Amino acid sequence: MKAFRSRNLALLVLCAASLIASAAHAQSNDFPVSTRTLKNGMKVLVQPDHSIPNVALYIFYRIGSRNERPGTTGLSHFFEHMMFNGAKKYGPGELDKAEEANGASNNAYTTRDVTVYQDWFPHSAINLIFDIEADRIRDLTFDPKKIASEREVVASERRLSVDNNNPGLLDEQLWATAFIAHPYQWPVVGWMSDIQHWTMDDLKHHFEMGYSPSNATMVVVGDVSPDEIFQLCEKFIEPIPSHAPPPPVTTLEPEQLGERKLVVRKPAQLPLLMIGYHVPQTNNPDFYALNVLRTVLFQGESSRMYQRLVDKDQIALDVSADSEPGFDPTLVIITAQPRQGIDPQLCEKAIYEELDKLKSSSITDQELEKAKNNRLVEFYKQMQTINGRANTIGTYEVFLGDYHKLFDAAKNYAAVTKDDVQRVAKQYFGANNRTVATLLPEQEEKAKP
Amino acid sequence: MSHRIVRKTELLLLALLAVLVGACPLASAQSIHLPPHEKIVLKNGLTVLLLQKRGVPLVDLSAVVKTGAAADPAGQDGLASVTAALLRKGTKTRTAQQFAADLDFIGAEFDADATSDFTAIRANFLTKDLSKGLELFADALLHPTFPQGETDKILAQSLDGVKAAKDEPQAVLGLYFNGYLFGSAPYGRPSDGDELSLKRIPRDAIVKFYEAHYAPGNTILAVAGEFDSAAMKKQLDETLGSWPARAVTPVSIPVTPPAKGKRLLLIDKPDATQTYFAIGNLGTAVDDPDRVAIRVVNTVFGGRFTSELNEALRVESGYTYGAGSFFDSRKVPGPFEIASFTKNETTLPAIDLALQVLDNLHKNGLTPEQLASAKSYLKGQYPPSIETSAQLARRIALNEFYGFTDDEVNQLEARIDAVTPEIARRVIEKHFPADNLVFVLIGKASEIRPVVKKYASQMDERSINDPGFWPPPASTTK
Repeated sequence: MKAFRSRNLALLVLCAASLIASAAHAQSNDFPVSTRTLKNGMKVLVQPDHSIPNVALYIFYRIGSRNERPGTTGLSHFFEHMMFNGAKKYGPGELDKAEEANGASNNAYTTRDVTVYQDWFPHSAINLIFDIEADRIRDLTFDPKKIASEREVVASERRLSVDNNNPGLLDEQLWATAFIAHPYQWPVVGWMSDIQHWTMDDLKHHFEMGYSPSNATMVVVGDVSPDEIFQLCEKFIEPIPSHAPPPPVTTLEPEQLGERKLVVRKPAQLPLLMIGYHVPQTNNPDFYALNVLRTVLFQGESSRMYQRLVDKDQIALDVSADSEPGFDPTLVIITAQPRQGIDPQLCEKAIYEELDKLKSSSITDQELEKAKNNRLVEFYKQMQTINGRANTIGTYEVFLGDYHKLFDAAKNYAAVTKDDVQRVAKQYFGANNRTVATLLPEQEEKAKP
Repeated sequence: MSHRIVRKTELLLLALLAVLVGACPLASAQSIHLPPHEKIVLKNGLTVLLLQKRGVPLVDLSAVVKTGAAADPAGQDGLASVTAALLRKGTKTRTAQQFAADLDFIGAEFDADATSDFTAIRANFLTKDLSKGLELFADALLHPTFPQGETDKILAQSLDGVKAAKDEPQAVLGLYFNGYLFGSAPYGRPSDGDELSLKRIPRDAIVKFYEAHYAPGNTILAVAGEFDSAAMKKQLDETLGSWPARAVTPVSIPVTPPAKGKRLLLIDKPDATQTYFAIGNLGTAVDDPDRVAIRVVNTVFGGRFTSELNEALRVESGYTYGAGSFFDSRKVPGPFEIASFTKNETTLPAIDLALQVLDNLHKNGLTPEQLASAKSYLKGQYPPSIETSAQLARRIALNEFYGFTDDEVNQLEARIDAVTPEIARRVIEKHFPADNLVFVLIGKASEIRPVVKKYASQMDERSINDPGFWPPPASTTK
């Protein structure tokens, strides 16, 4: 029932949760990580865990849609697709077939900041996986026929996740409005007209720019030993030469000087509301206080926003907050699904009132304690699968600069005070710093047959 | 969300999950095995399964009440779901708000919902919070009071939830498909209700549903995670042992015959730029003797990225971001469907191609290479499906519910290995539909209606804005 009620919102909450791991008492030696930096600059992190005979392997490339330009938006994501469409040894279609025939599966995701490749496999497939990963980093090929069909696949993906998806559509408009200078303004999947116009040269240039081994971090968790992985890296990955990393993104988003509002009108059953606030990049020290604030306001049915909007006023079906990790200053986005017949402005007003309460008086000791307890549980939930560990260790290493911060998070959350929460509420959640996006249903009745 | 654009559609993952349902192991080194677990029956008839798993200090509870949405009275679809959702919304000693506050303070989770076959109630918390977590779980399960105010809220929210889901074609495609395939039989009805049925559920129907079906003898509780077994048994006896025994009349679910001929339901969503389609017929029961062979064949046909369907509709033609097939196997035969989506302009060639792939499956069967690959894939991908305490608790609870022994997991590899090309051929003929097909499409009717007519002699149409799914409300109202 819950999933049915708010599929997209639940997804948002999950995204948010994925980065707010912490651990009050967790010791890093409970989950030991071995590291090595290869001669070509790729850093490798390994965590053995033999509870199941499987392995999760992640490669994080520090390239995403922030490295793109107008006209070729979405290229990082399209490129990610092309990484599965043929290299020198494993030609078009062969990579997936070889992996699945050996019990392995794979996927990948692209964000504004990174492109991440994932393999999940039984230990027996480990040589194959390294052979494949090396092949495509070193010798990717571009088949014009594959480019043409994959372009259609990505267009279909865009229709699925944006054009025919209200939260996806509103979110895209929100980022495009909240950022006027910085490349975070365009969607990761790309504008439809750009999807239709990338060229092979664009792809080749992207490969040269983003796919140096020195621009990547590999994380391996599961039924392996560090020595085994380091030896495989020496054989398959280390010989691949390094080259220059992507040029730095130098554009800074200027301070927002006043509230921005946008409206999307389309046929829909229910309206939708999203409010974005500019917040610092993930490695800013306020990361921890902002997460405590989010927990107090949004996590669970006892949270302030749920109690106010869903339970007491009964003006929303769901309310949540999401903040994706970013190398550059990013957004916290509050999403509310207004109830049938409710003016989204009523939800807006209630949200601002709850934010104002945080600014004028401090949270309770009980709320602070609750937030820290929740971070501890979240940490253990991420640690209970090899996949969760690989993703979390990699995310901390890449976005916070050091995987140790995952195990220090307990300490860092313990240091957050009620005053810190009040300070970040005042500093970041003001009217001038927000962009308000509203989707309003319009009549769609057309003549029936 | 557009922040994190993944390469493969959720649809495929769903297909994979559906494929994996029905077995559940943990692996000891090389082969797939369930970790040791213990079964006890409390004096009041509650079946308890205990599975200790080290790694992280968490405990997961997974209860199965052996009655689900199939027991909803006609016209009151959603009753079992709403009953489950209300368990935490007020007990003899806690208001909904107090329950939420106590639960959230320790970082615990509690949720409950109903599928057609059963009601699932889950909780998890840190091992150090075991007493509190167990007490909260028992409070919701044993002592709900269904306050009128909370009942009204849940019913109204559920109704808006149906509307929100209709803004996302993929979220409701399966509901229309089940309705069109099963009609007003239990598996055809939406387990979360619809815009009309939810208005017809009074509080006393919820109380009666709870009293009739929530009883220790009708419930299985699995506990998995880090805990001390002796202490756990004592605490379970103290909390759930006090649940009074009560006789429950089992619900029997009628078997629906497969659809004959071809029929097509078109759901008009005028703003859609993509057509979302499902094609299928009756599938199988969860205990079908062919279930492992079906899983192997479906892996090749539509259950993974390199499946024949995804290769044809995505990899080779670019018609879609994803195409797959799955058997939603239940107590009695549930649906089998092929599902995908494509832009309005390519609706016809994409559906033609899906049908051609199905046709080829019947004509050609599986090659030895395909068979070997699917076997490796299923065996290699299985262990992560029983990695966590939550997964293990659910798996052993469902094994008990469906009457499976541990062999369902422990013999899985051997049973996969035993599938031959001949068995595969027989399974294709017996379980994969050929000429008798049900089609459900959500899309822009004015554009696609003229071209999709050709698929079926019987064609029905509704607007996505019309309340309910299928059949239209007139035939379900009394």
